[in-house]
Amino acid sequence: MMEINNLDVKIKDSEKMILNNFSLKINDGEVHAIMGPNGAGKSTLSKTIMGHYKYEICNGNIIFDGNDVSKLDVSERAKNGIFLCMQDPTVIEGVSNSEFLRTARAECSGEKVNLYSFIKDMETFTKRLSLDNNMLHRSLNFGFSGGEKKKNEILQMLFLKPKFIILDELDSGLDVDSLKIVCENINEYLKENPNVSVLIITHYTRVLEYIRPDYVHVLSNGKIQKTGGYDLALKIEKSGYSMLGNDANE
Amino acid sequence: MSKILYAFDDNKNTNYKYNISEDTIIYHFSINASSNVEINLIKSGITLYYYYGNINYDNNTFKIKVNHLKNNTHSELFNHGVNVFNNSLNYYVDGVVLKECSKCICNQENQIINIRNGKSTICPNLLIDNFDVDSNHSAYIGSFRDDILFYMMSRGISRQVAIRLLLYGFLVNGNDDNASKFDKFINEINNI
Repeated sequence: MMEINNLDVKIKDSEKMILNNFSLKINDGEVHAIMGPNGAGKSTLSKTIMGHYKYEICNGNIIFDGNDVSKLDVSERAKNGIFLCMQDPTVIEGVSNSEFLRTARAECSGEKVNLYSFIKDMETFTKRLSLDNNMLHRSLNFGFSGGEKKKNEILQMLFLKPKFIILDELDSGLDVDSLKIVCENINEYLKENPNVSVLIITHYTRVLEYIRPDYVHVLSNGKIQKTGGYDLALKIEKSGYSMLGNDANE
Repeated sequence: MSKILYAFDDNKNTNYKYNISEDTIIYHFSINASSNVEINLIKSGITLYYYYGNINYDNNTFKIKVNHLKNNTHSELFNHGVNVFNNSLNYYVDGVVLKECSKCICNQENQIINIRNGKSTICPNLLIDNFDVDSNHSAYIGSFRDDILFYMMSRGISRQVAIRLLLYGFLVNGNDDNASKFDKFINEINNI
């Protein structure tokens, strides 16, 4: 279970507060979506949960599976099972996808990765995601299209088997066919792992058509202004944030 | 098929001079040494790739000068160094194209990673005396970028292991098979 309690977050070396007294509880197996206008704090929330170096927690905490993870460094949070599918995955020249994945799995599990099972897993996952198997030998995200980068994020997710997944603007850079493939793979993973919970950060309902949320929250001015079901997302798509009043429309 | 040449400097300063008359790739690995390299491209239409990986502990200098002496010659230099302690590491990288040599390509990419507070300098010089040359240079001195470390750590890789992976990729420069011929260099990466 992920519990975010009374979180105040600011940009480091700045007085600007992004999240104000933000609270959210996500039970195991639940899918939550956060929508909100530009600058509402959606990406700040996802990066703060992961421990991004640019943000500072001033108050509150993040409890995951009973442990306060807000003081842990980024890799420890990942080892606890938190996975951030990034909006714009970083390009790393000189480090191959294969080396990166094997190191990540070994670090998370504390065991050396068996080469045979790694190759078999990669054959399965690249096929499922319609990715060229040769991408494993290329530098991480180097020369990848926007769609390949996002698919690579999901490949990493399938391989590392996280317990809590944050999807930050999953649909950006993905064409309709790729979005469908990516979402089908996430749904398959959730079906195989019913206790895994998901936090979807999105502007549009496109991704929610494929991954149906149990709850939709509207974030504005650093806190949740309204909560509802999928129908709330549809209303926002139709009428914009103005329908929620001034608080939700900066 | 390109000709492949290797150079390895192990705590010893060395001068190299090459007259290149066919497509050539040079892998140059260096541990704590100063080197002075002069390369002449002496036949039209040939291409040179030069990969330099350097681990530095004391005050050292790497000088390389590529002279394009014929038309249609092409050079690509990739110079990567790691300055481990608080000492100086200086790169002087010259690409020279003479006035009578047309349609040359002369590129160089230089990077030094400072592990501590070393004083590093890169002087990337393009001395071009012809109007139709395609030429680029870049120079970076600093540490590994925070966003790169964040990305790697977000997959469960500890900071220390992430830096080791990055150092390996940076110094070997995508040439694993060739670097693996120099065990001492690979082992040295693990000792940084």
